[in-house]
Amino acid sequence: MAAVKINELHKSDLPWIVEIDESKCIQCGKCCAVCSFNSISPCVELRKKSANLSDSENTEKALVIKQNIGFENHCRGCGMCEAVCPNGAIKVIRNNDDMYAIRYRAEKGESLKRGGRSNLNTEGRTLDKIKIGRISQMTDPSLDPLRHTFEIKTQLGRVLSADKLGFEVNGNKIVETKTLPPNRWIYPIIFADMSIGALSSRMWEAIAIATAYLNEKCGMPICMGTGEGGIPVNLLKSRYLKYMILQIASGHFGWNRIIETMPEMTEDPAGILIKIGQGAKPGDGGLLMANKVSKYVQEIRGVPKADLMSPPTHQGLYSIEESVQKMFLSMNAAFNFRVPVAIKVAASVTSVSVYNNLLRDPYNIVGGFFLDGFAGGTGAAHEISLNHTGHPITSKLRDCYLAAVHQGRQGEIPLFAGGGLGQTGSFAGDAFKLICLGANGVFSGRLLLQIAGCCGNDTEKCNACSTGNCPAGITAQKECLSKRLDVDKVAENIVNFMIATDTELRKLMASVGCSTLPVGRSDALITVDKHISKRLDIQYSI
Amino acid sequence: MERFKIDTLNNKNRMSTQELLQLIQAKIEQGVTSFEINACGQHDIGGASYSRVKGENLKFFVKNPGQRLGAMGMKGTQIIVEGSVPADTGWLNSGAEIVVKGDCGDTAGHCSASGEIYVGGCVGARSGALMKHDPQFKTPELWVLKNTGSFSFEFMGGGIAVICGYGCEDMKSVLGERSCVGMVGGTVYVRGNISDVADCVEIKALDKEDIDFLNKGLQRFLEKIDKKDLLKSLTSNWSGWKKIQPVKDKKSEPRMSIKEFREKEWIEGGIFSDFMKDDYKVFELGGTGMARCRIPQHNSAECINCSLCEKKCPQKAISRVSGGYIADAEKCIGCGICAAVCPKKAWKMLENNKDL
Repeated sequence: MAAVKINELHKSDLPWIVEIDESKCIQCGKCCAVCSFNSISPCVELRKKSANLSDSENTEKALVIKQNIGFENHCRGCGMCEAVCPNGAIKVIRNNDDMYAIRYRAEKGESLKRGGRSNLNTEGRTLDKIKIGRISQMTDPSLDPLRHTFEIKTQLGRVLSADKLGFEVNGNKIVETKTLPPNRWIYPIIFADMSIGALSSRMWEAIAIATAYLNEKCGMPICMGTGEGGIPVNLLKSRYLKYMILQIASGHFGWNRIIETMPEMTEDPAGILIKIGQGAKPGDGGLLMANKVSKYVQEIRGVPKADLMSPPTHQGLYSIEESVQKMFLSMNAAFNFRVPVAIKVAASVTSVSVYNNLLRDPYNIVGGFFLDGFAGGTGAAHEISLNHTGHPITSKLRDCYLAAVHQGRQGEIPLFAGGGLGQTGSFAGDAFKLICLGANGVFSGRLLLQIAGCCGNDTEKCNACSTGNCPAGITAQKECLSKRLDVDKVAENIVNFMIATDTELRKLMASVGCSTLPVGRSDALITVDKHISKRLDIQYSI
Repeated sequence: MERFKIDTLNNKNRMSTQELLQLIQAKIEQGVTSFEINACGQHDIGGASYSRVKGENLKFFVKNPGQRLGAMGMKGTQIIVEGSVPADTGWLNSGAEIVVKGDCGDTAGHCSASGEIYVGGCVGARSGALMKHDPQFKTPELWVLKNTGSFSFEFMGGGIAVICGYGCEDMKSVLGERSCVGMVGGTVYVRGNISDVADCVEIKALDKEDIDFLNKGLQRFLEKIDKKDLLKSLTSNWSGWKKIQPVKDKKSEPRMSIKEFREKEWIEGGIFSDFMKDDYKVFELGGTGMARCRIPQHNSAECINCSLCEKKCPQKAISRVSGGYIADAEKCIGCGICAAVCPKKAWKMLENNKDL
């Protein structure tokens, strides 16, 4: 037996401990075979039969399954081994005494990176402390959520106030005197932007198929954010482009293909989203580790196999005003002012200043403001950003909405909110509450991953999206893993989930007597928390 | 019997609904069976009352009533109104015969469970909603000469409604919009255009039984509303009539499967097909071949032919060949037991890093 030194990495330092019940283990090897992290391996152990350590006769060999102890291949707690063990002999157990984060930094001298979401949610969720407390009983029309008609749609694009619409009365006719900014009526839930590269090609395509299916077979005009990792030319040329919100972020990946394909496009995209920041890792640019930069990703992004670290900011932009003038103008010009252009920023104490500036928008080219809260997910980030930076979505969304209300300009630049929605199970509930607080719509990405079979959670389970070893094939580019993902099944589950969510949204809308989206109807909300009541200006109820 | 007359407006003093209804009840108890009421909007006239005189029905001749005329009306009550009435005529009607020669407001016949309501004009929104039929009692009927407002016959559970569409030939829909939502029982006969009815009902042509029913019923109806002369125009062309009934054993049409959508409507070969061909097959956990995370590689130079790997392989994937051993990719799941037991480290597990 090798000598043990105190300053080495030990099993007890790791975040997850694999326990094997040898009385049940039949050494079939399945657990080791499925472990995408190579965290467990069979090995032949020499065992002492008695305490007489010097006696070499006193050993026997045993074939056992052992947890590997290493920085790269430590167990992530994904549980695939448990899933395949025929005898229930293996278990992964969260180690609360874990020292991994300290050991990693001490050993490597570098910032710890991972995927997933914030695992340090000490505050609890504000949205869970809010209830829909205004129930339609004699005060509003009583609606039947299952049988009445509801208009669950919202606008993406610049909305002008009535006096600026540019209509004139000519004789007995109303004449349009100027072209209105582009505007789309879309479903108020957007599939948030996750790039090809961050996601496996299968996962990305499954979301795209679900989007097309929901639009064309279910009458739900859902849009999908593409993320910034290029877009397959096949999709750009197809009619399904009209459901896509193309993203441009600081890496500017893949835009050459979009530009070159323009002559062959038969549809305009639904919108363009300029990504300035992301809620899960505000202040950081995109991050894609080399393991995930497959041949296809290299080609579509125009880069070699290397860690791709997008700059945290757009290099050409120095101020909000300049952003509007340059970035919004260029992206509007790209499709000859026919496609709404929105912007996404991480929720921050500065969000209101940014929104106020955009609201001035003298050119009518700002088509939406996407605010991303800190509980959102990401493919890869520095853990310091994930756990220690960011801003909850709820109060910032509310601040932006009220800032617009105080100027009488609410709705002119639609507000979309996201970041950790559906975290505690109810997406419709979260969406509805944010809409009542002033959002014109919401977006979620990580919920789609959860639907697709992601085994990660907010208490450090898995969170290995950055490694390329996603056990569910959602964020892996390797064939052996990405083919674990069943495109049809995932798309089906997303479609089903959205249909269920749609029903639940109707249920909530009916309960407050609204057949259209109750944007800003904060009178529908109550909270039992005094601070939340004061901060969000909603009724305090006990 | 002589009609008991009540004028509810006396020297600009209007009798309240409560005063009127209590006066009527008092008179009924005294044996009055016939009333002539000059109302000014009092509610519930003619409702929930029954004659104290054996063999004699209660009769109400009413002008200008308020809402809920004949509400909870009972068998043996007859109400006749010369003009129009506001909402809820015949609400919860349980047997009365109510004749309105003008129009009715919204929710006419709402929840009526027996009796007949005859309307010589149109009825408003949500009329006939929640009508129902208890087989112990006579089927409720709602007869309307013209049309209904939107959302009519919502959640209808039983009974018969007849909407004659008279004078409504140019209307897009004589049932307004979104009628029959949630209808689970009963029949609505309708003459004229209809559109936007809920998908839980089906629209059918009349059969002989229906025509017999309507022939008889229309004669009675038109007599009640003093429009006998219209009979011919309503019965001359039965193909202009339809009947609406809930779809029996409604099976929602199965949605197209995603697989079918992907194969038939989605971009051929998938959106990445210009770069990589994906067969969309799914690897199971612990699969063989390319589904393996790690693939064993044998180095003959190190091998001492001890056959431990062959013996210990749980998949029986390893066999002996000249110069060493090979693992059958069709059987091997990549568990690494061969590499673990090999005393000479002749087996190495290589990461299967092939991109899709």
